[in-house]
Amino acid sequence: MIAEPRSVGRDARAAVIATLAFVTAVALLPPGSYLALLFAWLLLAFAGALLGIGPTRLARRGLVALPFVVAAVPIVFLRSDELLWAGSVGPLTLQVSGAGLRIALTALIKAWISVQASMLLLAFASAPSIVTALRRMKLPEVIATSAGLTIRYLELLRDEARRMLRARTARSASPVGSGRERIGGSISWRARTTGNLVGSLFLRAYSRAQRIEEAAASRGATGSLSIGTMPTADPRLTIKVIGVFALVLALTLFGALLPRL
Amino acid sequence: MYPQLHIPDGFLSPQLSLLLWVATAVLVGIAVRKSGRADVKLLASQPILMGVLGAFIFAAQMFNFPVATGTSGHLLGGVLAGYLLGPWAGTIVMATVIGIQALLFQDGGLLALGANAFNMGIIGTLGGSFVARGIGTALGGSRSASILGAGAAAWLAVVAAAGFTTLQLGLSGTTNVAIGLPAMLGVHALIGIGEALITVAALTFIAQTAPDILAGVAAPSKASPVRRLVTGVAIAGGVATLASLFASTDPDGLEAVAVQLGFLNAGEVSPFELFPGYTIPGLDGGASTAVAGVLGIIVVIGVLFALGRLARSRAQS
Repeated sequence: MIAEPRSVGRDARAAVIATLAFVTAVALLPPGSYLALLFAWLLLAFAGALLGIGPTRLARRGLVALPFVVAAVPIVFLRSDELLWAGSVGPLTLQVSGAGLRIALTALIKAWISVQASMLLLAFASAPSIVTALRRMKLPEVIATSAGLTIRYLELLRDEARRMLRARTARSASPVGSGRERIGGSISWRARTTGNLVGSLFLRAYSRAQRIEEAAASRGATGSLSIGTMPTADPRLTIKVIGVFALVLALTLFGALLPRL
Repeated sequence: MYPQLHIPDGFLSPQLSLLLWVATAVLVGIAVRKSGRADVKLLASQPILMGVLGAFIFAAQMFNFPVATGTSGHLLGGVLAGYLLGPWAGTIVMATVIGIQALLFQDGGLLALGANAFNMGIIGTLGGSFVARGIGTALGGSRSASILGAGAAAWLAVVAAAGFTTLQLGLSGTTNVAIGLPAMLGVHALIGIGEALITVAALTFIAQTAPDILAGVAAPSKASPVRRLVTGVAIAGGVATLASLFASTDPDGLEAVAVQLGFLNAGEVSPFELFPGYTIPGLDGGASTAVAGVLGIIVVIGVLFALGRLARSRAQS
């Protein structure tokens, strides 16, 4: 994850545009267009196979977004159109709406597919090369520089945080066992302990930033830090983008033409 | 690890997603211009500090503490970032962090990134920071008053982000606001207490350990009693408006708006169909549907098998 200058050797603009266009096209598919969604997923699986990621692995890794479906559960029971089932469970009177079920299921599948699309982008292009591509696409310099540095120092500070957490666990401000007696102190004491950790992590990050600035200044940096050198521009960018939009248009057409359930 | 506020793609309508993308882009653009002539100068080079503090916010989100068995307090860090870097630079940092979470960790969708950055970056950080300053000024403008203000704003920011998330899902027709809003607000009113306590403790720690760093942070100016009163009334009014917005969760009203704006049934009608009702022309009724289904499944399994082999050969080469 740490930027190596040579890992920025690839112009990732076409891949970034393709991912955004694909995700947008998937979002535009109307509820219940399961066949078009299947087609979209097969497209992704094909891209994944080209990158050496098999369909099973891709499908499994797409599951991370699924817990969010809890947000869509109420409409399954609260919409009153296309009733599939109505009855009482204990003291509750429940009804299952076909329209609600369709919306929830479509959202679920779309989330699952979109997650896999951004995973494939990351499998294709390194994080720094994505930032470089975004910068070429006129992302403001301040954001590009700070995003690049965030990515570069992410693992370092997360590792620092992990070590601090382990030290705190050893001193029992967090529960280790299952029993409540293992939790130390009152809630406000535990919150203060955590806040102190956050505060001291900030001080470490701050002194890290100071050192980076001194190092950069001593090497003659004058403001924006480029993260690696800019790769040579992709000569076939235009043709690739046209291809991407043709595919996306086909997907949208399929959404309109294929039968929906 | 932190509250599930990151909306994945698929749950928001495309229209609303694009609208919030535009809104976020405009406000972050303003932030970029404002942060250039920053009121806060901690280090000579603003981008370096912003970048490293972005990584710090990421890492700080790993810190949780047990509230009760099974529930823990978390940090989102929006108001904290806004306090340390100033509202505008803090907003850029939070928006960048949320973007990296979507790109690198698949936490939140790419199309929904506009909405997520709006809820946590614009509402949570920009709005939260101004509320924090306002409360700090109203409480007298000392350092501890401003930290207390940050704590209150941190709570409000978490609750407001949760509320906006639910309203956006409601407008997209993927949740029921009447059920979802009280549930989300209730849960996040608790989570927000964790956020507020951690924010106050962290800022107190920094103020005690390294007062010279915070000396660069603009402490709220010593305000005249009249200004304090005016700020206090303005904030109370704002909070009351927000509360009444949350309280009037009339789902019919909201759905009516959604239907009027064309969100709910957008694109549900198809102009014509290729295989009407999953049947093959020429065969009739149930038999046709079954044949079409079986053929389809066989083709899909064949394609997946071929893709698996392709992946293996590509991974080896």
